[in-house]
Amino acid sequence: MASADSPAAGHGTAPDDAPLAVELRGITKRFPGVVANKDIELRVRRGEVHAVVGENGAGKSTLMKTLYGEHRPDEGQILVDGREVSFRSPADAIAAGIGMVHQHFMLADNFTVLENIVLGSEPTRAGRLDLAEARRRITDISDRYSLGLRPDALVEDLGVGDRQRVEIAKVLYRDARTLILDEPTAVLVPQEVDELFANLAELKREGLTVIFISHKLDEVRRVADSITVIRRGTTVGTADPRTTTVRQLAELMVGAELPSPEVRTSTVRETPVLQMVGVTLTDGGQRPVVDEVTLTVREGEVVGIAGVEGNGQAELVDAIMGLRPLAAGSVLLGGEDVTGWSTRARREGGVGFIPEDRHRQGMLLDAPLWENRILGHQTRPPAVRGPFIDRRAARADTARIMREYDVRAPGPDTLAVALSGGNQQKLIVGREMSAAPRLLVAAHPTRGVDVGAQAVIWELLKDARAEGLGIVLVSADLDELIGLSDTLHVMLRGRLVATLDPRRVTPEELGGYMTGARTTAGAA
Amino acid sequence: MTGLVRRLGLSLLGPVLAVLVALVISAVVIALIGEDPVEAFRVMVDLGDSPSQQVQSIVVVLNRAVPLFLAGLAVAVAFRMGLFNIGVEGQYRMATILAAAVGAAVALPGPLHVLLIVVVAMVVGAVWAGIVGVLKVTRGVSEVISSIMLNFIALGLASFLLTGPLRGSAPGASIVTTSEIPESGRVPSLNGLLTALGLAAPRSGLYGFLVVAVVVGVVVAVLLQRTRFGFDLRATGLSPSAATVSGVDARGMVVKTMLISGGIAGLIGLPDLLGSQYDYGTEFTAGLGFLGIAVALLGRSSPVGIALAGLLFAFLDRAALPLQFADIPSSVVTIIQGTIVLAVVIANEVARRLALRSAERAGASAGPDPGAGGDDGAPPPTGPDGGQRVRTGVPGTPEDVQA
Repeated sequence: MASADSPAAGHGTAPDDAPLAVELRGITKRFPGVVANKDIELRVRRGEVHAVVGENGAGKSTLMKTLYGEHRPDEGQILVDGREVSFRSPADAIAAGIGMVHQHFMLADNFTVLENIVLGSEPTRAGRLDLAEARRRITDISDRYSLGLRPDALVEDLGVGDRQRVEIAKVLYRDARTLILDEPTAVLVPQEVDELFANLAELKREGLTVIFISHKLDEVRRVADSITVIRRGTTVGTADPRTTTVRQLAELMVGAELPSPEVRTSTVRETPVLQMVGVTLTDGGQRPVVDEVTLTVREGEVVGIAGVEGNGQAELVDAIMGLRPLAAGSVLLGGEDVTGWSTRARREGGVGFIPEDRHRQGMLLDAPLWENRILGHQTRPPAVRGPFIDRRAARADTARIMREYDVRAPGPDTLAVALSGGNQQKLIVGREMSAAPRLLVAAHPTRGVDVGAQAVIWELLKDARAEGLGIVLVSADLDELIGLSDTLHVMLRGRLVATLDPRRVTPEELGGYMTGARTTAGAA
Repeated sequence: MTGLVRRLGLSLLGPVLAVLVALVISAVVIALIGEDPVEAFRVMVDLGDSPSQQVQSIVVVLNRAVPLFLAGLAVAVAFRMGLFNIGVEGQYRMATILAAAVGAAVALPGPLHVLLIVVVAMVVGAVWAGIVGVLKVTRGVSEVISSIMLNFIALGLASFLLTGPLRGSAPGASIVTTSEIPESGRVPSLNGLLTALGLAAPRSGLYGFLVVAVVVGVVVAVLLQRTRFGFDLRATGLSPSAATVSGVDARGMVVKTMLISGGIAGLIGLPDLLGSQYDYGTEFTAGLGFLGIAVALLGRSSPVGIALAGLLFAFLDRAALPLQFADIPSSVVTIIQGTIVLAVVIANEVARRLALRSAERAGASAGPDPGAGGDDGAPPPTGPDGGQRVRTGVPGTPEDVQA
């Protein structure tokens, strides 16, 4: 276990008695029905790289939005350079010397680097844009921090690493002394990560403070001077990267108080329902986002796909559903090669789908529930008769789903947007189950739903599995993965790097595999 | 039942509000140019003194409403799946001139002759619109740009055809036209029906094409609301990403929808062509494609709404002449139509938000189910993002359905 709440001593960069660059005391932030942050304590010294680590959904982003003034905390204090501040907007945070580099770049592609940097705080002389002054300052920033910017290059011609440096320059241009980097390495390839870390070292040398949000523990250990771990909305400890192992960090991040996975009888049968052989997808360019994935799902088997988000799980799901063309490999459904099949043909062939983003992919929010019942099942009874929609049957079947799956809504004519996330998800699960699929692809089936709905959905998946349904379960919830899966694959950088037995693996071990801290040559 | 009434009320709220706002603005404008708004509106609603005058006025309104209705339908079919077919103007011009030429060139027994003309018009319109669809799915060209460009090409091409290969009028005539369609290719008027109903016979004939328009309207309504195809189309319009995941082939849908839209657009010129003009010429009714956009907006892309909107626009158009007789500038009509379009865009959005909010309230009171837990502590997903989604998403390009 890492040293909880014992700030590691002896940083060469700043004496301990200097005022902290940023200090958060007892920050609590509530949203309707959920506490996103609770009693957060964060102490960032001037001139250090301070990592904030935690799982997806642990509350890192909410915390950083609080610090950047995007919303106000319900309780607690924010101190910058020892003085208490109150940010009403990001403009206030910028004025206080805090800048944020977002995970998703916010650059205008058809503008030059220079134009992007000055956008929003353009230097003027006599009311006219003073490009010479802007160029002088940008060149100065670029030289001082070795960013290597070319002010006149068009942003659309730049690579990801260069774009990120433009984002950093944008923040520096506004005289930020503390930079928040939200998952900066998520979009970078390893060489670019090295370059970024070199840039961070330059920033640190110039006395700037960097808050580095990440869940990639090996990177955090390389770059950070100190680490704060967040779990389930609250700070659970701090750690010194030089004395803490990745394994200890992973344990701190995942927590050891998780319930032990339940023992149960296996319902796995012999017949495979889904086989993926050497499936490879690229991101439009050359980089493979899913790399030579081979896996088999049998009847009555839940195959869990664990992994830190953005390691190719979403693309793997797209490959199964036929939403993206494969670069290589094949997908077999019940022994039949469906690689060339359309999404509709696959659905008709018995694939149910609980998509990751129910608002964008799973529902028509402005349409009534009975139309949402039809969505994805436009070619099959009961809601469809020949080329026509059977409105009465659709309404009746929607009412049945609402009854059997406990969807709380006034009636089938209610608009989907009126339902809570849990009820929307129960409707989706009910809809997909009603078509009696052979294979169910469930991507984050309980994300963003309340505890009651979560239990209901878990029960439904277990029952369906017992009846012989094959399930691909992609999730970021380790309890869910361990509790439901019969076989557990870990996905890292597009590859299946480990196959684990969910009855034996602990969440800490799983977390280790997910972040690449543990490796295996096929542990199962 | 009360829910139904409320939804109906909400869907009527936008257009009614828009028309009222437009009337107020127009009244101010009329007053500013030194005329009496009350007098102007009185002239506009005055259909005539004698019964035969009144029937005549109504026939003029209906005859104008038929092409407007078809134009609105053509635009609306594309609207419903999030496509902006700005090219209806060019589609119907191309369709009308070629249909007129074919109709004048052949001699067939009555119904077949008309049928041939209708089919030619629909095919030409569909092909012209299909170009837009194919460009979009193969090259990613925005349908707005390509359909506007094709309008220019269509108008130029029609002028060339009219003055060149398809000219039927005598050389040197002030109005250039195609050859006249013979009697067998014309659609008889419905005046017999009017007199049978005991109404006075009007001076001009009520277009027989009114029946065709009603049939097309019903077919479109059934297609959109009751068929699988219509469901796919509407689903793509509501959420391209969800439609793709549900198995809709977005690219195919773009082409099919443009073909249907263009096919309907091909019919727009036929009421005038087969009911009163019998040839296509330099004086042929122009601008119906653009008015169709306004009509579709005002009618909220539903066939019944478009019918009402078409009637309203036709009613306003009819008032142009009486206004001039009363020494009031007839451009008052154009001002009213313009402000209606502006107001309806705003009012529709206001009404949509109201509907959304009332739906959310209805849902919130129904289920005691607090959406607890969330990704990164985001607020429960029922609330805030409902109003922010962009409705004008352009389906069909694989990038945006997968992002």
